[in-house]
Amino acid sequence: MTEAPEPLKPLKTWSHLAANRRRPSEYEIVSTNLHYSTDNPDAPWELDPNLHMQKWYRKYRNESTLKHEDWNAFRDPHAQVYRTYNLLQDGQEQHVKSLLDQFSDRGHDQLLDAGWFDVLLKLYTPSRYAFHALQMGSAYVAQMAPSSTITNCATFQTGDCLRWLSHTAYRTRELSMASPATGFGEKERQIWENDPVWQGFRELLEKTLVAWDWGEAFAALNLVAKPAVEEALLEQLGKSARANDDTLLGLITQAQMQDAKRHRDWAAALVKMALTVDGNKAVLKGHIDKYMPLAQKAVEAYASALPGLDNAAEEALAGVRTFHNALDLA
Amino acid sequence: MTLLKREDWYDLTRATNWTPKYVSEDELFPEEMSGARGIPMEKWETYDEPYKVTYPEYVSTQREKDAGAYSVKAALERSRFLDNADPGWISTMQAHYGAIALAEYAASTAEARMCRFSKAPGNRNMATFGMLDEVRHGQAQLYFPHSYTRRNRQWDWAHKALHTNEWGAIAARHFFDDMMMTRDAIGVSIMLTFAFETGFTNMQFLGLAADAAEVGDHTFASLISSIQTDESRHAQQGGPALKILIENGKKKDAQQMVDVAFWRAWKLFSVLTGPIMDYYTPLEGRKLSFKEFMLEWIVAQFERQILDLGLDRPWYWDEFMRALDETHHGMHLGVWYWRPTVWWNPSAGVTPEERDWLEEKYPGWNDTWGQCWDVIIDNLKNGKPELTGPETLPVVCNMSNIPIVGTPGNGWNVKDYQLEHEGRLYHFGSEPDRWCFQVDPERYKGHLNFIDRFLAGHVQPPDLMGGLKYMGLAPGEMGDDAHNYEWMSKYAKAAS
Repeated sequence: MTEAPEPLKPLKTWSHLAANRRRPSEYEIVSTNLHYSTDNPDAPWELDPNLHMQKWYRKYRNESTLKHEDWNAFRDPHAQVYRTYNLLQDGQEQHVKSLLDQFSDRGHDQLLDAGWFDVLLKLYTPSRYAFHALQMGSAYVAQMAPSSTITNCATFQTGDCLRWLSHTAYRTRELSMASPATGFGEKERQIWENDPVWQGFRELLEKTLVAWDWGEAFAALNLVAKPAVEEALLEQLGKSARANDDTLLGLITQAQMQDAKRHRDWAAALVKMALTVDGNKAVLKGHIDKYMPLAQKAVEAYASALPGLDNAAEEALAGVRTFHNALDLA
Repeated sequence: MTLLKREDWYDLTRATNWTPKYVSEDELFPEEMSGARGIPMEKWETYDEPYKVTYPEYVSTQREKDAGAYSVKAALERSRFLDNADPGWISTMQAHYGAIALAEYAASTAEARMCRFSKAPGNRNMATFGMLDEVRHGQAQLYFPHSYTRRNRQWDWAHKALHTNEWGAIAARHFFDDMMMTRDAIGVSIMLTFAFETGFTNMQFLGLAADAAEVGDHTFASLISSIQTDESRHAQQGGPALKILIENGKKKDAQQMVDVAFWRAWKLFSVLTGPIMDYYTPLEGRKLSFKEFMLEWIVAQFERQILDLGLDRPWYWDEFMRALDETHHGMHLGVWYWRPTVWWNPSAGVTPEERDWLEEKYPGWNDTWGQCWDVIIDNLKNGKPELTGPETLPVVCNMSNIPIVGTPGNGWNVKDYQLEHEGRLYHFGSEPDRWCFQVDPERYKGHLNFIDRFLAGHVQPPDLMGGLKYMGLAPGEMGDDAHNYEWMSKYAKAAS
């Protein structure tokens, strides 16, 4: 019998982090290398290797055209963990709650112009469908991402999209009370499905939702569809609202943009990491080129209908391009 | 204050289904991912989650919960509980964290499956909170044990276990991957949230929390009972899905999913939670026996729920009730015997006092399991510890991936339930295990359990050391008797 090896010595942290010289942060301790399904590329799941879900993950995650040999090295630039996410968003929600409370006390909705109600029904309250599509798309990226640090960013993003949807739902009810005849809370689905102002976004989002390759799903959602929605439905709609004395909507969209900025930060960090690998630039550019024409059509149809703004569509598209330019994809 | 009440606007947050136009409904919700089972979209829109929570309520409540759990940890850090804790309790925590932390994190992906692919809008929103909840459970159950990594290398397994091919980790992955990772959205809602979380997480997070409080581990007790408050919320996603399935003629399908998930959960708990509660937890800290916890949390509550929903008791209910007296004792004996193959130090839990307790809780224990322990005790007493460790491999079940056990001694009923399928011989630990395979062989037929891998030459060299290497266990990590056999002194005294 050979001599037994020396017992392993205790470590100051997880063995997978122990090689780092730095003491790991709380973020690293609780966020890194958590997906066991990436350990065996041939069989992500501990079942028959030919099961449908094995094939799905092999094809759309492991064999994605977006490649990196160590996605686990990705770090969220905000180093957000569950605990801090709730601290941040509870604070943000207190802010929105106090806005809703104060503006309601002041009779804000009673002072709105009658014509503005029609604008809101057409261009604002149907946004719950768009936000929900972003929520669903974020959940797809979360379940397909090849590392837990990416998954977590997409998970918090899913929560944020539900947050935006919730604001819209809340305001929809308030508006229906202020103007019962307009059709708030009743006509949104019909408008989302039929009004030409929404069909571009509907097409963009439906097609984004069926991008199964995780890299394509990420790019379509986080680099194109989401920024396009944000520039049009948060930035430009907010601007139009302020121009039409709907101060409350302007403030809510500003609060939501805080989330959007965080999402763009992690997306940009992921792109930066991806660009260290040959071939990924062309892959990402390809995805952007595929979805941008749809985004352009969507933004033009929607933003040109916003009252009180001259160049809303151009500005919204410029906002998306500014984001793209910072990604160094040219 | 003029804020709307939740019920004034809640329904609008879940009025989010639309008819897709630029892609087809089947493209947007592929059947293999959604699992609508031919039930039209409008029916899924009737899904009504019993526990309603909004986003602002969620972040506020969860912030408070975390503040509670983390501040208890911080406050008690100086109490040096672990320095004086019974080694059996330390093993309990190590087994728990290793098997649970990454599995809970993985459950976030299962929740995301529902959030993206369920045709029920209420389900998609609740699953969003579920995704966040499971990130919480993964992260907290890594943060807490991380502060112990300096103590010994077994604590590393809180993060490492599910990344290895240790046999218990294979069993845990096989179970969780079957219940939650490879199912369509509706399958997840029924198998993970209804069958598993409604019943079994109560056992692991409330039953064990009761024991933790008894032994004085208030940090662990507050953490896992706080986790259970999330579980009991998001576990309610399955009920309304079951209702829709039953109303639309899919009761048979629903019943089968419940029956498979329930049996499989039971088997995993028989090897994880049974030994923890009845053998590792110090005698004075045992609030109830494992069987009593099971009767309270599973039999009384879960049985009522399935009947209320219009389902039947699983067909194997009598066998399940019988197994409550038996299976986990065999699992414990096996785990202790093959102790180098686990990442914690199993506590034998068979001092004369503990045996009295076991005999009281499980009449006949001494005449069956006790006979095996008598042999072990004699060998230890006679200075032959080498006879108390493994030389061969156990027969492992192709469904549960844990050893096939039965009652030894005067109650002998050990049996290998075999099945030949497409030319391969499979082994199962019970009739229900074999049944789980038979109802869906495509899910399982190509999987190799630890023994299959050994026989296929994956484990090199083909001996115990090769096996330990394959499992990722090195000295310093592999288990030994939790109390370093000190409990034997009670037998030595009795003999002298």
